Amino acid sequence: MTTTHETQQTTTPQYPEHFEPPRGTAYRLLFGPGLVRGAWMGALFFVLGTLLVVGLRAWWGWDPVWLWPVIITVAGLTAAPIGFLAGIGAFDYWLYYLSGRPTRPEDHSGHGARSWRDYFRVNTDHKVIGIQYIVTTFVFFVIGGLFAMIFRAELAQPGLQFVNSQEFNGLVSAHATLMIFLFIIPAFAGIANYVVPLMLGAPDMAFPRLNALSFWLLPIAGVMFLASFLTPGGSFAAGWTGYAPLAEGQPLGQTFFNMGVQWAGASSVMTALNFLVTIITMRAPGMTFWRMPLLVWANFTTSLLVVVATPFIAGSQFFVLFDRVMHTDFFIPEGGGYVLGYQHIFWFYSHPAVYIMMLPGFGIVSEVISTMARKPIFGYRLMALSLVGILVLGFSVWAHHMFVAGMADWLRVPMMITTLLIAVPTGIKVFSWTATLWRGRIRLTTPMLFALGFVTMFVIGGLSGIYLGSVPVDIHASDTYFVVAHIHYVLFGGSVFTIFAGIYYWFPKMTGRMYDERLGKLHFWATFISFNLTFFPMHYVGLRGMPRRVFDYAEAFGDLNFVISIASFALGASTVVFFYNMVTSWARGPVAEANPWGAHTLEWQVSSPPPIFNFDEIPQVVAGPYEYGVAGARHAVMSPAREAQEVPA
Amino acid sequence: MTSHAEALGHHEHHGPPAAHQSSRVDPRVLGMFLFIASEAMIFGSFFAAYFFVRVVNPDAPGTWPPEPFHFPVFVAGVNTIILVTSSFTMHWALQSIKRGQRTAFLAGMVLTFLMGLAFLLTQVIEYLHVGFNTGDGAFASVFFGLTGLHGAHVAVGLSLLGMVIIRGFRGHYSPEHHHGVELPGIYWHFVDVMWIVVYATVYLI
Repeated sequence: MTTTHETQQTTTPQYPEHFEPPRGTAYRLLFGPGLVRGAWMGALFFVLGTLLVVGLRAWWGWDPVWLWPVIITVAGLTAAPIGFLAGIGAFDYWLYYLSGRPTRPEDHSGHGARSWRDYFRVNTDHKVIGIQYIVTTFVFFVIGGLFAMIFRAELAQPGLQFVNSQEFNGLVSAHATLMIFLFIIPAFAGIANYVVPLMLGAPDMAFPRLNALSFWLLPIAGVMFLASFLTPGGSFAAGWTGYAPLAEGQPLGQTFFNMGVQWAGASSVMTALNFLVTIITMRAPGMTFWRMPLLVWANFTTSLLVVVATPFIAGSQFFVLFDRVMHTDFFIPEGGGYVLGYQHIFWFYSHPAVYIMMLPGFGIVSEVISTMARKPIFGYRLMALSLVGILVLGFSVWAHHMFVAGMADWLRVPMMITTLLIAVPTGIKVFSWTATLWRGRIRLTTPMLFALGFVTMFVIGGLSGIYLGSVPVDIHASDTYFVVAHIHYVLFGGSVFTIFAGIYYWFPKMTGRMYDERLGKLHFWATFISFNLTFFPMHYVGLRGMPRRVFDYAEAFGDLNFVISIASFALGASTVVFFYNMVTSWARGPVAEANPWGAHTLEWQVSSPPPIFNFDEIPQVVAGPYEYGVAGARHAVMSPAREAQEVPA
Repeated sequence: MTSHAEALGHHEHHGPPAAHQSSRVDPRVLGMFLFIASEAMIFGSFFAAYFFVRVVNPDAPGTWPPEPFHFPVFVAGVNTIILVTSSFTMHWALQSIKRGQRTAFLAGMVLTFLMGLAFLLTQVIEYLHVGFNTGDGAFASVFFGLTGLHGAHVAVGLSLLGMVIIRGFRGHYSPEHHHGVELPGIYWHFVDVMWIVVYATVYLI
């Protein structure tokens, strides 16, 4: 790790001297912002939260005074994280500000990273935050993947081998939860954090301190999900959907899920708000909405979805939490609650959430395909408008997850129609990518391979989505492995492929080094083949009636499940190639040029990695971003780059 | 006093150089409005739960709240008047600082804060005397859910107002720099408007 960052130091420009905080004394270590202060302040706030709960309960005369589910919720899952955030210094500037004291420059000009330590600090540089996001999310990607390996080992044969039923459910739930809330959603946020301000010609995000806070909420959520494994009764095991009333009677681990979702949700809402304000108010001169790269469009629409929809999952988890801890009856029929309400509220977020997990990928793929095919994107405006179409339609389809849940019958057909209508804007996108490729000068680099892999896999996932969106088929296929196959074709073959495409595409920009193309291609083909071997047979076993989320199954499915499990291990192994490539290339790869792909968008017009404040002078945008193959076409006029030493403090 | 504030104002801008302003909307105001949109959706989810429990639920009780409970409509009505009034004093405070009238600004802020605090304390006392608890059925769940969620927002709003008051008494804000008053003000107005909807839904309908 050290070598990685030392090499990075040599490639990044010099930073202003005052930024380096003095270190070394024990006082600084204990009381200066950082992980040490975060640790003891987290512990302190845990004690304070416990005292609050115990004190109030003793005062009211409630019995028992030491009620652990309440103490864990208030002290462990709410107060301690706030203490940790205060300790690492996420609130320092605001606390100085609100008390009217002079704010200290080093609190917020903590810009850029001089050593690897700066990645473990509250840092307000969108480029540092982007890398913090990406590295963190890939850590959770590995953990979530290992969980999948464990339960695939369990599923290799019928009957119970390695884990018991509750542990199995816990592993499946944690796998899905980590992959969704700690990998796909924040990995896109990380890539966008790095790239979007650069693409806009902006020096940073609109609210850099809020940006830093959004990132630090994420590891809190992840640690919370993982900590649930240490609770009596094991991790949360009601699925990532956490349906009530199943979730209401679960052991303590479920509370960790309820609260972890709140922290992850708060993180995504703040990031989304930041993106929206950045995109609306900080575009370079000449960068009209119709000249924005499609990745910016994608993050604009995604952020709108996040801001509007995410509060609903917060609500749904609050209700379950209240039912569990405060004895309310939101979803308890005996007390007058309405059980199906949970699913409506949950899916009102979680269906738009699948677009939150897909639209940024659409953006990445549009960038990659247009650049690598050396052609203007086909139907640029329609590509942007189809994102908006998905955004609007996405709010009208949530009940297609509930066709067999016993909801009002009249709701089924309207929801089916809106669901199938989503095929129109997504179809426009697929046709546009295909038309962009048509007669292009295609370069099959690793990001391009992943982009093409995405288009093909996403079409398969989209087709099975049309089956599942139709009421009659869904009644047959609901809760079978057909659904598992569908979700993995759209989330792995879809979202994860686009994340890989984006990582490879912007790797030279982020690290200043080039990845190994041969290893990249090996990674793609290993992933592509083992992915299909893993998930394609699931369509078949699903239609034959194998239920999902069950640790045991009929003997007849044994052989195919064995194949699936072996393929899934190969899929897991294929990511080893990826990590090896990333780590060695980041440490020792050949130095990358500023613009290795010959792309037109603004992030490629600055050095790799970019200067501390991105642009010496804000560029003037003069045309659209994808004018490839047009003689003399430019997206923007840049002022000539100055020497790195002259970067203004 | 002004020199102090100016000296601080000099320190306001660190970090990245100024970006090109591509919109006439102030980024902070836009951020606050987006945050409020998100907050409105949080309330939306609680209203949805209310709607499910009371309207969609086939087993919903015929009378609302079910016998023998009742909601303190009158006390909450008085509370509504207090909170709505505080919106006007908030506006007065903002207009005053825009005109450079510091005394009126501070008086307006303190009045707003005290009314907000009175609202919150009244709500706590109302909870103690309302005659039912969270475990007494779904009607109580949605009652405590909506009023409690709103109470939490009042508490957040009060912290923001408290922050403005502290800074105000330390000599900050001027006719040129009053965003620090305006943004909490916008949030406070949102909290007030939301209360009118909550009051109408929970207590009146």
